[in-house]
Amino acid sequence: MSEIFQLRQLLAERFPGVPAWSEVAAAKIPGCWPTGLPALDALLGGGLPKSRITELVSAGPSAGSALLLRALLRQAWKVRQLAGLIDGLDSFDPSAVGQPALSRLLWVRCQTAQEALKAADILLRDRNLGLVMLDLKMNPAAQLRKISGAAWYRLQRLAQQTSTAFLVVTPWPMAPSAETRLILQSRLTLEDVLKKEDSLWPHFKFEQARASAGEESADAAG
Amino acid sequence: MPPGECLMPYAVIYIPEWAKAGQPAAAETLWQCAYCFSPRLEDTGPGVCTLDLKGLAVPEADWEKWAAKIIDMLAQVVGRAQIGVARTPHLAAQAARQAHPFLRVANVEEFLADLPVAQWGFGEDILEILESWGIRTVGAFLALGRDKIAERLGVEAVEMFDLAGQSRPLKLITPPETFAETMEFETHLESLESLLFVLRRFIEQLARRLEMVYRVAGEIHLRLGLASGAAYERLFVIPAPTRDVETLFRLLQTHLENVRTDAPICSLRLAAKPARAGTYQFGLFEVALRDPNQFHETLARLTALLGPNRVGTPRLADTHRPDSFTMELDGLANGAASAQEEEEDKTSHSLGLRRFRPPWLARVEVREARPVLLGSSSFSGPIAHALGPWRLSGQWWDAQNWEREEWDVQTSDGELFRLVRQNEQWSVEGVFD
Repeated sequence: MSEIFQLRQLLAERFPGVPAWSEVAAAKIPGCWPTGLPALDALLGGGLPKSRITELVSAGPSAGSALLLRALLRQAWKVRQLAGLIDGLDSFDPSAVGQPALSRLLWVRCQTAQEALKAADILLRDRNLGLVMLDLKMNPAAQLRKISGAAWYRLQRLAQQTSTAFLVVTPWPMAPSAETRLILQSRLTLEDVLKKEDSLWPHFKFEQARASAGEESADAAG
Repeated sequence: MPPGECLMPYAVIYIPEWAKAGQPAAAETLWQCAYCFSPRLEDTGPGVCTLDLKGLAVPEADWEKWAAKIIDMLAQVVGRAQIGVARTPHLAAQAARQAHPFLRVANVEEFLADLPVAQWGFGEDILEILESWGIRTVGAFLALGRDKIAERLGVEAVEMFDLAGQSRPLKLITPPETFAETMEFETHLESLESLLFVLRRFIEQLARRLEMVYRVAGEIHLRLGLASGAAYERLFVIPAPTRDVETLFRLLQTHLENVRTDAPICSLRLAAKPARAGTYQFGLFEVALRDPNQFHETLARLTALLGPNRVGTPRLADTHRPDSFTMELDGLANGAASAQEEEEDKTSHSLGLRRFRPPWLARVEVREARPVLLGSSSFSGPIAHALGPWRLSGQWWDAQNWEREEWDVQTSDGELFRLVRQNEQWSVEGVFD
């Protein structure tokens, strides 16, 4: 890693007029992809940041991450955009979404976390999708521990070259390159099975653990 | 003379190399190029194509520019070409042979005065007689006069005399609508790199040919002839018709990276079906792809990574049976979601179910008709709360009939599962999240 820093320093000294790639990326104002969930949009300052990685940590059982993915798919349909869902362990249930929203969904059914990362690499190179979601919530811990930090930085670089909002759902914080990290702290109960979806959102609790790379904060909404 | 009538109604395109070598397989390239300038064409012979220019109004000073355009176009796809323009097809053909690279016969007498008789098309015996008389140019031959020629040399020589002033009807052809390139390999190809190298040249050539006629590729048909006698064929429908070499090449490359043939490749044919460049007004309720070709390539790469039926848009089956759907690729790849699917989504399911595919087999203890204990590969322990049973059945009218009983349960550690009993076998179908 120190070699990279030395190389950057050398390039900066040799070509002082040329801005570094990181400066160019930071200068871009990527905008937001509104989720349609008022509490979440307020916490994120307008929605999921485009051209950045947003990590949603859904640690506990039945925390509501599948419900949130479903809501985002419906939102993509409402704003007439195509959404991509990279399903880490082929666990998505399309019947709960409804055919209209499904017509704007590209569902990528993976069997392992490695497959899912490769699929994300391919999908982020495509500029046709407004939202890409990588769902690793169900993948075994052994698979997830094998994901190197470099893989996340590669995905970050790819995301920065598009205007796609990139959401990663994980069971524990694992994406060091995530611009924003949200922790889902809700706990759904059996009574919620019988409730309407709209009545559940007020009980959802999000905590923002990271506002930008290297800067920790702890805002909460819910 | 009516307005627009051309003084020089015939042009001949002459490809010297083709004329020497005989009719090449790529003659259609010449016809397709010529078709851009006149719809009335004749395949006159190897490397010779005659154009009927009646109705074409080209000012006197612009003939050279007009010809230069054709010559430049042909230089990119077939090589050096010569063009002759005259008032009869035969005169135009002679002019094309003498051209450097363009010759317009404005004064017929002057042109024929120096034209060798050997080039006029005489038979061997008449040529011998003319040579013995000391007649070496067409001008000198014509100076003999029609009657004297008829008297001394017969009907064939009269026909040759008339060619200088009389026209003839062209035997019209229509160029094929498919643009194809083929190649037989003496040394069979065994690696993808070699095949891609040839394919790239083919695509560049096809793109140039399509550009000549202001068209783009709507479909591409690939045929690989194998040494075993079999063939591998594939039709690529281009989502957004284009003649961009990089786009078309990537489309083929992405596909071929995942193709394995049983035998080496001994021949290659690549054909492009021309289409008009797309000018499509998107509807208010349609979702357009920014780059349909890139999206098509992305789908191909994902399918190559994960296999068929793993990538696409789910379409729910017309049944109440849970988890019944098919995967479709066409809807999204075609670039727009159908306006018919814009109806309001009124579904309001509650919790999201994450399915286990296949479901986990489970042992469930039932007391007083309710599940109380769950044993499965991921969880074993008491069930704290249970909702159900939800009974479902369908297709009772045929052999595919099904019946099941669902329970939504909460375990002692708070996880929410869906249990299913079917044919007296319990399974965990998914977890609520």
